[in-house]
Amino acid sequence: MSTGLVDYTREEPVVAGRPTASEIDAAISAPLDQFPTRIWWIGFGITSTMLAIGVLCVGITLWSGVGTWGINQPVAWGFDIVNFVFWVGIGHAGTLISAILFLLRQRWRNGIARFAEAMTIFAVMCAAIFPLLHTGRQWLPLYLMPYPNQHGLWVNFTSPLLWDVFAVSTYLTVSAVFWYLGLVPDLATLRDRTTHPVKKLIYSVFSLGWRHSGRHWHHFERAYLILAGFATPLVLSVHTIVSFDFAVSVIPGWHTTIFPPYFVAGAVFSGFAMVQNSLIVVRQMFKLKHLITLDTLEKMNKVMIVTGSMVGYAYAMEYFIAWYSGSQFELFVFINRALGPYAWAYWTMVACNVIFPQLFWFKKVRRSIPLMFGIGVLVNVGMWFERFVIVVTSLSRDFLPSSWGHYVPSPVDVGILVGSLGLFFTLILVFVRVLPVISLAEIKSVLPGAQPERHEHN
Amino acid sequence: MKKPLYGLTALFDTPDALMQAVDETVKAGYTRYDVHAPYPLHGLARAMRLKPSPLGYFALVFGLLGAVSAVGLMTWITLVDYPLVIGGKPFWSWPAFVPVAFEITVLLASVLTVVSMIVIYFKFPNISHPLHDTPFMKRVSSDGFGICIEAADPLFEEARVRGMLTSLGGKDVGPVYFDVEDLNHGQKVFDLKFVGLLAGVGLLVSIITYLGLNVMLYMKPFNWMMEQEKLKPQAASALFSNGIGMRPPVEGTVARGFLPYPYKGRPEDAGRYLVNPLPVTKPVLDLGREKYLTFCSPCHGNFGRGDSRLAGQFPNPPTLHSDKVRDWPDGSIYHVMTDGQNVMPSYAAQVSRDERWAIVHYIRVLQRAHHAKESDLQ
Amino acid sequence: MSTDTQTLPYTSKTLSPQVDRIGLILLGIGVVLVIAAYIFEPVRASFDASILYLFMVSLAVGAIFLIALEYITGAVWSVPIRRVTEFLAGLSPFLILLVIPLFLNLHDVFHWTHEEAVSADPVLQAKTPYLNVSFLFIRTAVFLGIWILFSMLFIRNSTSQDVTREASLTRKNVRLAAIFLPLFAISITFTAVDWGMSLDPHWFSTIYGVYYFSGTVLAAVSAVTLIVVLLHEGGFLPGLRRDHFYSLGALMFAFVNFWAYIAFSQFMLIWYANLPEETFWFMARWENGWQFVSVLLIIAKFGVPYFALLSQESKMNTKRLKIMAVWLLVAHLLDLYWLVMPTHSTGATLSWVELGFPVVGVGMILLLLSWKSKRYNLVPIGDPKLQRGMDFHL
Repeated sequence: MSTGLVDYTREEPVVAGRPTASEIDAAISAPLDQFPTRIWWIGFGITSTMLAIGVLCVGITLWSGVGTWGINQPVAWGFDIVNFVFWVGIGHAGTLISAILFLLRQRWRNGIARFAEAMTIFAVMCAAIFPLLHTGRQWLPLYLMPYPNQHGLWVNFTSPLLWDVFAVSTYLTVSAVFWYLGLVPDLATLRDRTTHPVKKLIYSVFSLGWRHSGRHWHHFERAYLILAGFATPLVLSVHTIVSFDFAVSVIPGWHTTIFPPYFVAGAVFSGFAMVQNSLIVVRQMFKLKHLITLDTLEKMNKVMIVTGSMVGYAYAMEYFIAWYSGSQFELFVFINRALGPYAWAYWTMVACNVIFPQLFWFKKVRRSIPLMFGIGVLVNVGMWFERFVIVVTSLSRDFLPSSWGHYVPSPVDVGILVGSLGLFFTLILVFVRVLPVISLAEIKSVLPGAQPERHEHN
Repeated sequence: MKKPLYGLTALFDTPDALMQAVDETVKAGYTRYDVHAPYPLHGLARAMRLKPSPLGYFALVFGLLGAVSAVGLMTWITLVDYPLVIGGKPFWSWPAFVPVAFEITVLLASVLTVVSMIVIYFKFPNISHPLHDTPFMKRVSSDGFGICIEAADPLFEEARVRGMLTSLGGKDVGPVYFDVEDLNHGQKVFDLKFVGLLAGVGLLVSIITYLGLNVMLYMKPFNWMMEQEKLKPQAASALFSNGIGMRPPVEGTVARGFLPYPYKGRPEDAGRYLVNPLPVTKPVLDLGREKYLTFCSPCHGNFGRGDSRLAGQFPNPPTLHSDKVRDWPDGSIYHVMTDGQNVMPSYAAQVSRDERWAIVHYIRVLQRAHHAKESDLQ
Repeated sequence: MSTDTQTLPYTSKTLSPQVDRIGLILLGIGVVLVIAAYIFEPVRASFDASILYLFMVSLAVGAIFLIALEYITGAVWSVPIRRVTEFLAGLSPFLILLVIPLFLNLHDVFHWTHEEAVSADPVLQAKTPYLNVSFLFIRTAVFLGIWILFSMLFIRNSTSQDVTREASLTRKNVRLAAIFLPLFAISITFTAVDWGMSLDPHWFSTIYGVYYFSGTVLAAVSAVTLIVVLLHEGGFLPGLRRDHFYSLGALMFAFVNFWAYIAFSQFMLIWYANLPEETFWFMARWENGWQFVSVLLIIAKFGVPYFALLSQESKMNTKRLKIMAVWLLVAHLLDLYWLVMPTHSTGATLSWVELGFPVVGVGMILLLLSWKSKRYNLVPIGDPKLQRGMDFHL
């Protein structure tokens, strides 16, 4: 479609061809009505195995304690925090797509918002496991909440670790509410399509009696706008608060004022890579290439260049100020990252985050699915290593050389990481069979000829 | 029983046809009608003359409520209920409150606005409606655009409405009837089934909470911090033959900070070798006076004259102003306090070493005061 | 889709001669006041000149950024008003006039130029590879060169498109935008570091460049909004609708929030860690009267604009936008004052010395706008996206 030059006088179409609304219903509902294919079962088998490994390792942790992990003094935070930040970051792409692109009136988000939001919720669920596990007495999560209790104690409101509790739970709740709100009209459509009595009951209950009434759409649109308006600063605040975990400390390499926007940019960067890769698989599996077009994927690549460049800018600023500050501790951290015992992790990070994504400047790369997919995987690897480098290098070597130590993850650590990936992809596989991966209402509203020709005038 | 008519519905082919129909409906003066489409249509709210949705104000109110209550709670906790000095910061550290306050604001504003919309406008839990499960709804859920004009509208007349809709290009113009069960139910705010469901959920949550917090927490491995294998005070123990967990200290145990007194039983050496390590400063003398008055004055009197109420009785406490004592070196006085003399016991357990030396200085003050010379006044 | 097609004979128009007159008067008064300032209080005047330079860079380079942003994102709503932004970007060459006085008196302003102090201080010694006059000169010259070059290229392509109507010129500008944005990031960051952060050469903050960037974009958007609303009210841009103004208002609102977010991040992290090598900078801004300026800054640049631009209706109200645009421009000047002046005076005072500089700035802008509008169309009539921009609906 857009192999040639862009025609600036025309609106870019969101979908390819001119599908009708009922064709869209059929295409998107197909996976929900059919029995899963063999490929799906193979995928589910792999992800469930990974999940099972994770469950086993979590069980070991619950029984024997966090001593089964590789953390030690001085590296008291290892895989647990790295994975937490990684997963929260992945979740940010979903909210950006569904909320921020909505506010910016970018209609190309309509085909991907539902899936991206679902990924956000699943990613945040994966993320929430880690702070819970690393507390040591995971069966007392209520201690994290301020409620009147017989100890007479309250939580420490000045601690960023507590701010995380509020931020992540708010993010999970609001994302879920936002996602569910968008689902209501689709559940109504499914209710009216299905003949299976159990499915019909479930859809009827959860569609809240939606009858596509114009009066209801009026309030619905306003509520959706409000939620998008709130979700936008929320998503920025969540990863900002996560960055505060590090930046409020005094440790060189952690205490630097650029962390908040740098973390947010990095989160969007890694999130988009994950969303993009998952969409590539989904659109192939369910034959939705005309609804999740190559143009949309290309735009996602452009977002990745922007956010990847912001991450690169932050790396450069950290280096410059480390030198400019004159603080030998600060300078040492950055030399240590590049040349010390974890240099392999550092250079992986730089290659994956700064070098490879620059290939997206080239249109050929942006429109090639295999290359896009490969770079997406590399970005996710690179962003995981970024968090690893930040956490481990700054902790293993800070002010006093006599306090230096080395960190090696234990098999339980690795098992939990594998398990979190398993959980994430299992949830996605279940999601795609149970709920429509594209928002029926939203995609229909941007079909050619979907809106009345007449406009309101001032 | 003849089902009462809810209204007449009509379907339209294109959004434009629908919008035209809406215009005509409004112009004709109908107010009890609704428009249905599988997705929101631009300009529909304006064409239907709908008032702007007040949900924005709801969000504002809920958001402010969240902000105020979050800041209020944190302020009360850190200023009134349990002030703690954390990181050397003031009790009320407003920058630290910003993240939590922000999150609660967003949480309440978002969630409560949506809940309000569902309850107020979607009329949850009274969500059943005559239009459900009609062919009209099936079309409108998928790809149709429709209008429904209710029989309850004051201007409604079946034939006229049918004619108008048909003339506007409406297809499948047909009636929709109320369900008998819905009529019998009416619009109750608290439907029995819904209340029952809420009660059931509440009960389930209570049971789970009880089982979790009162039963599971006392089982292994969750009770491992509560049930520890270490010996607590007064506990019995099978390890020892007398079954008592608490044991006396081992032979040769000394108290913390203990140093043996080298001149026990040797007053001359004490006097010869011990030197008062404390300087003669006001704080030292104040300390000496305080301790003297506490420990020494009951026998030796407030001013060292031996004129306490024990005077004249056995044992008769001596005065500290005798030549003998005045000529003694500091170490001898210290030795008497430490090791005891005659009937006087050792005060080493009650008075620390520094305090004893301070008392020595004070006794010297008393002695000088009692034999004051003209030159002392200069 | 095109029932309200507007054919736009937006030929070049002369703005009211008042604009020229007021511009000249203001420039004249301003220059006189500035000269007087240099005569009577040269040190304070030098600081004020720094503030003016940073302010005008915000407007000029912020405008180039907005142009590049429009091209790179393919936005259509801003196409009808892009020419106004291009006029503002045309300020860039005149930044040279503003930077020259700074170089004539670096000594009074920058502690790191005091060689004796630097050689006695090992921390400052270590920074001399960066903080030296020649490198500062080279950096400033290179950045100015980049800004002038790109502003000229963007404007040239856009104005020749008025005549030739070639779509390839848009493609050229898109490519230019892609190259410009990273250069913009570097140049804006180091301009802030050089003329702002290095005033206190012991202090450092990795987010400082982003902080200046947030204020820059906010100032540029406010300036563009103000000019657009005034032109619209004067009948020069009749095709604009609530939808266009809403987008401008939403951008202003977004950057008010962004600025507050960056400002709070910088403050909170330094407050929390409580390291004396960092906190002294904020302490200087919390003592001797500066605390009132700090509080005023928060209220002026965040508190008031947040609520004033919160509702949808307020963002479409041109009167509200006009007032808030002026408000935010003054707030940005206050922000720069708060950043720069505490290095000069421990006590927060406002002096007549300050007056001349913003007056010069306003005069320059008015004259520039008037001159440009005589030469070029007020709307990029050759842009292929123009029709879509005029038809733009929320």
